[in-house]
Amino acid sequence: MRRLVVDANPLVLLLVGFAAVVASLAVRDLRTGVIALTAYAVAGAVLLPSLRFALLRFVAVGVASVSVVWSTWLLGGHDAELALTAGLRIVVLALPGAVLAAFLDPSRLADQMGQRLHVPARFVVAFAAALQRFSALREVWVQLDRARRARGFGPTRNPVSLARHGGALAFAMLVAALRDAGRMSAAMDARGFADARTRTWAEPAPWTRADSGLLALGLFLALVPWLVR
Amino acid sequence: MADAARPTTARSGPVRSAWADAVHYRTIDLVTVAMLGVAIGVVFWGWNQLYAVVSTASVFAFPPSIGLISGPWLLGGVVGGLVVRKAGAAFGTEVIAAMVALVLGNQWGMSSILSGVVQGIGAEIVFALLLWRRWGVVAAALAGAVSALCAVAYEWNLYWADWGTGWKLVYAAFFALSGALVAGVGGWLLVRALAPTGALDAFAAGREHHDRLARTSG
Repeated sequence: MRRLVVDANPLVLLLVGFAAVVASLAVRDLRTGVIALTAYAVAGAVLLPSLRFALLRFVAVGVASVSVVWSTWLLGGHDAELALTAGLRIVVLALPGAVLAAFLDPSRLADQMGQRLHVPARFVVAFAAALQRFSALREVWVQLDRARRARGFGPTRNPVSLARHGGALAFAMLVAALRDAGRMSAAMDARGFADARTRTWAEPAPWTRADSGLLALGLFLALVPWLVR
Repeated sequence: MADAARPTTARSGPVRSAWADAVHYRTIDLVTVAMLGVAIGVVFWGWNQLYAVVSTASVFAFPPSIGLISGPWLLGGVVGGLVVRKAGAAFGTEVIAAMVALVLGNQWGMSSILSGVVQGIGAEIVFALLLWRRWGVVAAALAGAVSALCAVAYEWNLYWADWGTGWKLVYAAFFALSGALVAGVGGWLLVRALAPTGALDAFAAGREHHDRLARTSG
């Protein structure tokens, strides 16, 4: 059971997450919100490999929803129940997707987009290729950070200094990303990427019975608030 | 540079109509949209750490003021459009950036991708109305503002549904202003700053920079 989400088709994860957004639209009173969230929490407790991670996400989403509760109370006529409902709505909207996104593997997603959704292959491959450079970008970031500190350009504790440091690193990372894109596309075209007519895929893009089951469960969970409201 | 391998651009390549040029993607255009999306997604993720603190502070001071600090979320669309200058580049960059930021971890769930989609559509609408031919600072500011308004229409329904109408309008005005200035003018300045590094040499934005240099140095 605990492998279900880890092994799940990335398209299913996305669809279940989007369904949660639709579910949140039905949360118009406190009772509906509590029931919807409980349904998601029970499903998560049974299916997720690590509850600790889900709880951490819950805290992050909860902090974000506090701003919604407060602002709705202040600007929506000082109605506490209305404000709490708005906060619960945000948790229902965001939490399932925020948790499931951690299990989303970009390469598998690209395989599904190319072979199952039949998104044009050039777009999919360029997307997958760029995402593979992601760890290289992180490496660039770490090196730049160390180099700036070693040369005495590191940030102080001052937030302004930290922001400037972050801005300089972000700019340098953009330059590195653009140069990388140039190098990579030259390499891809040298292998006939632009003019290829028939393409094959290295990995299959399966849709298993477990995927169908998880999708059905996700759609059912999204239906719960619409049914009980 | 890398573009020498494939010089099919409007000026040096085979003659093509302006329209076809706006829709035909070279490999480097595709890869750049994706790479810019990934890099800006990482920036989004970093900005989100700061945003979580600043937005909480601003929400307790005066809630609609979050609009004022929301402009950076729209940078993907503006910068992607201004660099690649193709139909769909702004949209693609913003959506990929939103997706990368989500996979890295944020508090908005799949709503993050939907936000990216509506914001990308907003920026793309402006560039499309200008027939993918205008890439100046005015076009950039308009793209940022319309991108913000699209985001606002989405957030009115999903996040701030129960605010009074007047406050919703104040939020829209703040977000549009921030979108025009931070994402629009800021994105334009960012692309201008990227050009001298040589990173844009394969693109019209980079060539224009070198043309300007050639003119001024005489």
